[in-house]
Amino acid sequence: MRRDLGRRIYGYLVSAAFALFLFSPILWTLSTSLKQPTEMFQWPPVIVREPSAQHYTAIIADKDFSSALINSIVVSCSTIILTMALSIPAAFGISHLQKTAMRRLLTLVLALRAAPAMIYIIPYFLFFRQVHLVDTKIALIIVNTMFAVPLAIWYLSAFFDQVPREIEEAAMIDGASTLQTMTLISIPIAKSGIIATAILIFIGSWNEFLFALTLTRDDAKTAAVAILNFIPFEGTDWGKAAAACVLMLVPIVVFVPFVKKIRRRPNNDRFRERVKR
Amino acid sequence: MASSRPKVSSALITPAIGFLCLATLVPIAAVVALSFGDFNIAFPEKTRFIGLYNYARFLSDGRFINAALVTFILVVVPVVLQLLCGLALAIALKEKLVGTRWMRAAFLLPSVVPPAVGGIVWKLFLIPGVGGLSYLASLFGHNFEADLLGSKTSALISVIIVSIWFGVPIVALLLLSSLDSIPDEIYEAANLDGASWAQAQWHISIPLVLPAMGAVAVFQALEVLGIFPVIFVLTGGGPAGATEPLNFYAFLTAFTYLDLDYSAAILVAFTTTIVGVCFWSISQISATRVGR
Repeated sequence: MRRDLGRRIYGYLVSAAFALFLFSPILWTLSTSLKQPTEMFQWPPVIVREPSAQHYTAIIADKDFSSALINSIVVSCSTIILTMALSIPAAFGISHLQKTAMRRLLTLVLALRAAPAMIYIIPYFLFFRQVHLVDTKIALIIVNTMFAVPLAIWYLSAFFDQVPREIEEAAMIDGASTLQTMTLISIPIAKSGIIATAILIFIGSWNEFLFALTLTRDDAKTAAVAILNFIPFEGTDWGKAAAACVLMLVPIVVFVPFVKKIRRRPNNDRFRERVKR
Repeated sequence: MASSRPKVSSALITPAIGFLCLATLVPIAAVVALSFGDFNIAFPEKTRFIGLYNYARFLSDGRFINAALVTFILVVVPVVLQLLCGLALAIALKEKLVGTRWMRAAFLLPSVVPPAVGGIVWKLFLIPGVGGLSYLASLFGHNFEADLLGSKTSALISVIIVSIWFGVPIVALLLLSSLDSIPDEIYEAANLDGASWAQAQWHISIPLVLPAMGAVAVFQALEVLGIFPVIFVLTGGGPAGATEPLNFYAFLTAFTYLDLDYSAAILVAFTTTIVGVCFWSISQISATRVGR
């Protein structure tokens, strides 16, 4: 196809505009997190000139925030384990159902996830208050699992669909049980998809704010909520808040390439064929 | 072949589906029940049935009516702009120009930023006079010190822009894979017939991704109010309720004013409307597809 000039100008201009829009707030936060207090409110504003790690050392030394970071890691990893324990067998099973039954179950799973998270906040709060689980990690893990299972079933069943049926059948003929076929054959083959799904679950749980805000007080507070403590009431020292934001973003930035891989999938031909037939 | 397939016992599927039904349907039933009751968290035993009283309160609650309007604006405007911006970005990224390839890998970042972090990041960016926006303005020789979060209209516009910031990457990604699935032959044929690149985009790319845009719009409409944490951090619903959608109002009603039954009624009305409209749209979209 002819490479006309307008096409390239459009490509560069639009990419540049979106790069500025999408990345400048994050880069500004990174710059702020490294600023000395004197640079923070310099006028006109500047990008950091002499980077200093003082805000990072300050927030790591902050007992509340470092224990919140640990809570976040514990809650996110436990959510992955619990979600996988429920979703891998279910997705494997759904992937081996007849077409109509499979479609019906997947639609049900998706429909159960359609309601906005806010509708659950009152009943979960009352329930966990009743059973004395407010301000425990267990409550957060249960809630996060509830949100993660539909997503996990949806993606994992697509990955199990791609496992060649011939290999599974060969294992069955050799006398493997369904459970053995799943654990010894299908799971290892679908491994990369399972890891990608685990990463999505981690991000969802790491980012969760609403329930962490209402179901925790001190002990189980996660970093996504504890970060609010660093917002200054009177506009003075934003360095700590910025540094805490950057720390929260580290695992996210590492995982972005995986997100791209998995989020593209729903538009695949394979997926279309699965849902629309 | 069917005989040698792994036998699927419902034991594999039941735990997950059972947990899911229990963890979603029971709470929803509880909220609906609560919305018909007079409930005080200090005296739960005194709860009594009051029918539609909580729903009748909507009519005389100016704050509710304002929040409903804000909800409408904060769903429709960001979704439309996300689709337009996402399409513009997807067309640009499809070009794979030298120097913009890294963009293809990195542009998704905002969509996975923790919403609370996104709120702080934007708050920092918008600090009057010393934030990133003032810095960018100073690069162009402007002196920009306005407090965008201080007035009603500009605060609402700021929230819409942050909402676009969160949503555009996913929309662009989905539209990009839709664009990538258009066969090159179609563009080559158009080129042979003398169509310019711009004409090819207008007459080929856009019509062919339109069906995908419908589905993406419904998906985003359900997602877009997930910016609750952003509003919580950035504006707190203010100034004067200008950025307070129904889910935010319901949250305050429940956890600040402890009026849980009224909050439940707001949430039931809010959820029924938004899910109802989305499911209706899905059925319309699939109906036109079947008809074709």
